[in-house]
Order: sequence, then structure tokens, then C-alpha cells
Amino acid sequence: MTKRVRSVVAVIALGGLSAAALAGCSSPSAGTSDGKVSIQIGDRPSADRPEDRAYFDKRVEAFEQANPDITLEPVETGYDASTFQALAAGGSLPTVMSVPLTEPAGLIKRGQAADLTDALKNEGLLDSLNPTVLKLAENSEGRAYAIPTNAYSFGLVYNRELFTKAGLDPDSPPTTWDQVRAAAKKIHDATGAAGFSVLTTANTGGWQFSGMTYSFGGTVENEDGSKATFDDKPSTQALQLLSDMRWKDGTMPENTLYDIPTQGQDFAAGKIGMIIGASDSYYNIVQNLKLPAESFGIGGMPQLKGAEGTLGGGTVQIVDPKASAEQQAAAVKWVKFFYLQRFLDENTAVEDAKASNEAGSVTGLPGLPVVNSDQYSAYFDWIKQYINVPSANFTPYLGASASIPVVAEPVNNAQEVYGALDTVVQSVLTDQNADIPSLLSTAQTDVQSRLSR
Amino acid sequence: MTDLDERPRTAARTAATPARPARRRRPWRPGLTALLIAAPAILVYAYFSWGPILSSLVMSVQRVVLTGQSDFVGWDNFAYVLSDPGLPQATANTVLYTVLAIVFGFPVPLALAVFISEMRSRAWYFSALAYLPVMVPPVVAILLWKFFYAPDADGLFNTVLGWVGIGPLPWLNSPASAMPSIVLETTWAGAGTAVIIYIAALTSIPGELYEAAELDGAGIWRRVWHVALPQMRGIIGTMLLLQIIGTMQVFTEPFLFTGGGPQGATKTLLMTIYDYAFTRVDYGAATALSVLLALVLGLFSLAYFRLTRSWSRS
Repeated sequence: MTKRVRSVVAVIALGGLSAAALAGCSSPSAGTSDGKVSIQIGDRPSADRPEDRAYFDKRVEAFEQANPDITLEPVETGYDASTFQALAAGGSLPTVMSVPLTEPAGLIKRGQAADLTDALKNEGLLDSLNPTVLKLAENSEGRAYAIPTNAYSFGLVYNRELFTKAGLDPDSPPTTWDQVRAAAKKIHDATGAAGFSVLTTANTGGWQFSGMTYSFGGTVENEDGSKATFDDKPSTQALQLLSDMRWKDGTMPENTLYDIPTQGQDFAAGKIGMIIGASDSYYNIVQNLKLPAESFGIGGMPQLKGAEGTLGGGTVQIVDPKASAEQQAAAVKWVKFFYLQRFLDENTAVEDAKASNEAGSVTGLPGLPVVNSDQYSAYFDWIKQYINVPSANFTPYLGASASIPVVAEPVNNAQEVYGALDTVVQSVLTDQNADIPSLLSTAQTDVQSRLSR
Repeated sequence: MTDLDERPRTAARTAATPARPARRRRPWRPGLTALLIAAPAILVYAYFSWGPILSSLVMSVQRVVLTGQSDFVGWDNFAYVLSDPGLPQATANTVLYTVLAIVFGFPVPLALAVFISEMRSRAWYFSALAYLPVMVPPVVAILLWKFFYAPDADGLFNTVLGWVGIGPLPWLNSPASAMPSIVLETTWAGAGTAVIIYIAALTSIPGELYEAAELDGAGIWRRVWHVALPQMRGIIGTMLLLQIIGTMQVFTEPFLFTGGGPQGATKTLLMTIYDYAFTRVDYGAATALSVLLALVLGLFSLAYFRLTRSWSRS
């Protein structure tokens, strides 16, 4: 080959390579052809969770058998705050995927979620869903833009063994903050463990503190999210309580930088008596971190006096608004099949619970129901023999959930608000002389300037 | 830390290659074939490397809407980030980190290198030992040190300090000690690379200089002070500048150790940028602050180029 020919060949080869590389970037699009609908579904478990992945794939297969007109294309894309908007911008979001309940308000405003009201009606889901949870996924006109598939509300997670050692009754956990303070003292005196602890980093501090504010009867934002409203008495009282427990009673841990994993480790190791959490904390604390199941206790969120409120959230499924009507309908069908069918149909419930129990997964964990209460209790009746969690330990939580109102997370820029409140909580826990009113007013001014941007 | 690890290596290369006197050549004319061959590489490079830089410049003057039309807003984003009440603290934290990292992190590897190069035997053993922390992946190292820094009396460091009657110290849990604690870890993690570079520089010093000094009766300290350090002037200056540029972009350590807490005492400029972009989804503000930071770092780089040029001339 002459020099010139060689270089031309090289150019063509290189050009071909880069063209191939660029072509590899374009995403496949789900579409319709000859009456068949094809959709992308998110949240397929990654390969490091082989059992969950196998179960997911089996359900996909079963769905396609039951709906021969629908082809599913499972992808691993799940919700991640740092990549979600970029994925949305690049048009790479699957047709249907999970997002946290904090998101629908913003997604509806930006036109990033499809109106599912009619599809839900067609599937007979609209009346089966828990109305208080569904409300969080609706716009102001009552149109539903997301389907709740998992919900939680804050409660008080406690170590029953430490309770017994401290002479407290593990079957009746504290229901007011005064009782929490007293119980924390007893636990600390009797066992040396910290009585109570809160999260403080990665925005979880603000998240839990919002829950505390609600339980003191306060709010964090006004209803339409245009104003920050936490610079008031309830938040002050909540911070004062933390300050007193940390500095006067010495019943909170030395570590003031907790995220969920690190706090979970110390709780499961018996170093902390009580934390704020929901019933799904069970997965982290018992299943992963091996606190004995019988030591796991959960009560309702402690309150100021009666039933002021508790923070609730969860997971919803959203559907791509750019998908065709047939695709949207297929997506709702999948959501019903995979997430909700077990609450609506006895055979599915039993089959599902049996498989889960035999695989050794947590089965029959009580929580805030996403379906209405009749359906929910029927479900637990159906799967009774497969439940493998100590159901009785959840009784105080379920009892309280019935009476304490569930308050939604801040609707506007929740994560920013939480970030600012992280700092406030950290200040109170690291500085004995922290000036609570000025901390709150500074944080409120800060948050307000961001809300109005 | 990637920044710290990568940069000094490049520095070692440039410092080890003596500046070659420019040879007179006939002017280079790029042929069509050459251009064609280079084209794919240039295109790929332009798309993936210059493209993002350009688009972040554009984004910094826009209200960025990823799913629709972005509007031009002029200097709004810059005004917004400059008036952010968190900016002074983030700047102060970043400068504090840089200063501490240089005060602690700069002399330590130099001293270690001198110490190791003075070893008659087993020098390789000590340099391997010094380099070992660099090979621990940063995230793993940080999670380990998080355990070491446990603030209770039974934390690892506090247990050791307890034996001599000190502490327990709060380490990461107090706004005053959080940043120094982070610097301690980064010094441990980053010193190895610098040590290797300094050892290389020390071995390239002609042995006659030492011999002459020894004949004149100079002890070890005078040999270091009057022979080794002046000979290493160039590389020490380069390392200092690279370290300033690298440390001003610190992110991984405060992000994983403290998440910016307690009380925002370890929130750095890069964490602020990350927050703008990924928790507030405000790419305009994020890119505006990035551009400002890049300008400041650009000034340091300019100083770096000027200095290295004057050194290579002298």
C-alpha cells in the first residue's frame, strides 16, 4: 500500500469507528406497530441483587403472557435526584418509573408527568387507592399524575431489648415528646446507650426535622410552597427539645453527623435506644444490619400533646407524557400488575407472599397502605400464614397511624429546605449555646430567597 | 484524591525532561491527509471535551430549562451566586482547606523524601510504604477514616489518645476540628505521590555536590539546606502551585466525611456547585460559580506557566 492509500484507509477506519460510537449513543425509542405496544419500564433490580432481579424478570414474563399485545423492555434506570433532570432532558427516561412522593408537584408543573386519571379509571384503580396518599399525586384540579405504590409515615423506631433493660414497657412506647425525653434518660442511665438520636446530614436532617416540626403542630412551607414557614414556635420547641436532650440530659450520641446507614449501624449495634423512622426501616435495620427481629419496635410519631401530625411520603410511578395513549395505558396496566395486584386479588397475594417467604425476603411488613383500608386488611388476611415479621411489634405504630394526621413533605424544593435545616439541626447538636431563634430566622431568610428564585 | 494524584505525576514528567533548545525547522504546513487523519480525533475531542466547556459558558448566562427553551438572563446567575449567603463561608472554607493542606501537606512529603533518600539501605521499602496510601481507593480510605474518627471515647483514635490521657476529641463533629481532621486524612492519602516525585528529584542531584559539601564538613542539615533544597527549587515551586490548584477543587473528602457539616464548616466551593446543580437543579447558578472558580484557578495556572518558564530559562 502506498502512503497515501494507507492514510485514506486509516481515515475511513477512524471515521467509521467514531460514527459507530456516536450511533451507539442514540437511545432506542419504544413505539407501536401492528397493534402491538412496546414500553420501557424502569427500576429493574441491578445484577448485584440476583434474587430480586430474577423475581422482577419473572413478573415481566408473566405480564407479557397475560398481555400478548404489550412488549416490555425492562431497564435499570431508577430515580436519582442528581441525574433525573438530565435524563429527562435527554429523553432517556423509561415510559414508566418510580420517583419519590416529593417530586410529583414539580413534575406536574414542568409537564414531565402524564395525566393518568382516565387510565386509572379504566383499570378500576381510582377507587381502590388510599385517597390520602393519592391526593399527594394530584394537581389542584384533582387529576392524578402519578400512582402511589409505596407509602410511609414517620414513627418512633425503638430497640425493645434496651427498653426492657431500662425497665420500660416495650409494648407501649412513648407517645409524647416529654415521654421520649424521660425514656431516653432511663435508657441512658440503665444501659449507657444513647437514648435518642436524629439524622443530620445529606438532607436527611432537614427531612426528619420537618417531621418533628409537624409533630409539634408546625409547618415548613405554606400550602402552595411559595413561603417558608418554619421560623415559629413549633420548630423552636422541637430544636429546644433536641438541645436539652443533647446538652442538659446527655442522652443523645456524641456523633452528630448521622446519615441513614451510619445511624442504622449504631442503632442495630444497640448503641441507640430510639430513632425516627418508618416501618420500612425494618429492611435496613433487621434485614441488612441484623438487629434481631424481636428487638425491633415501632410506635407512632411522638407528639406535642395529642395528634398534631406526622410527615408522610413514599414512592409513586410516573408515566412519560410524550408516550402515546396506548403506551400510557399499557404502563398503568404494568403498574397495577406489578405493584398493586397483590392487594386486589387473593390468588396473586398468596402466590406472591409464598414466593417471597420461600426466598427468605421480608414478607407482610405492615406500613402506610397505598390501597384503601378494607383492601389492605383483606390482603393481610390472605397472606397470614406467610408473614415472617413480628407483626405484634408494629401494633403501636399502626394504632397511632390511624389517629395522627399525615402531612405531606414541603411541595416546593423540598431538598433545598432540608439542606438548610440540616445545618440548623447540626448547629444545635454541636453548639451548646446555639441561638435557636436566630438560627431559624437566618435559615428561613435563606430558604425564602431560594423559593422565590 | 484524583486531582492531587494526577497533577504531580504530570509535573514529574515535565520536570524530568530538560528543556530542549529549539531547533530551526522549515515551517510546518499541515497537509490535507494529515488533517483528515486528525479530524475524527479532533471532532471527538471537540465534542466531548471542548463542547461541555463551551456549553457551560453558555449555560452560565441562561436560566437553564433542560426540558425546554432556556432563556438568556445576562449576568443574573452571577449576581445570584455572588449574593448567596452561603458563598462567603464556602470561600472561607475552601481557602482554609487550601492553607491547611499546604501548611501540613507540603513539608511532610518533602521531609519524608529527604529522610528516605538518606537511608543507606531499605530505601525502596520506605518509599513503598509511603506510597501505599495512594493505592487505597479514596472512597474506601475515607470510610475507614470515618471509623477512626468516631467521636465516642471508644473510637479508634480516641482510644489511642485515651492511653496518654487526651480526649476524647470530637474530630469531625465540631466545626473547629472538622476541617483539620479532613486535611489530616488527605495529607496521609496524598503524600505518597509527592514523596516519590521528591525522591526522584533528589536522586537527580549530582553526587559531586554532596561530596564537595561533605568535604567542606557540612552535616546532614546543611547538605539538605544548601545543596538539596536549592537544587529542587523548580520542582518544589511546581508542586506548590499544582497543590494550590488541586486543593481548591476539594470535593470528595468533605462530601463523604461530613456532607459539608457540621454547621457548614466543611462546605467547599465545589460542594456548593454540586448543590446548585444536583439538589437545586439550578444549572445556571452552578455553571456561573464554576466559571468564576475557573477564572481564579486560571490565574494560578498563569502564574504557574510564567514561573516554570522563567525557571527553565534560568
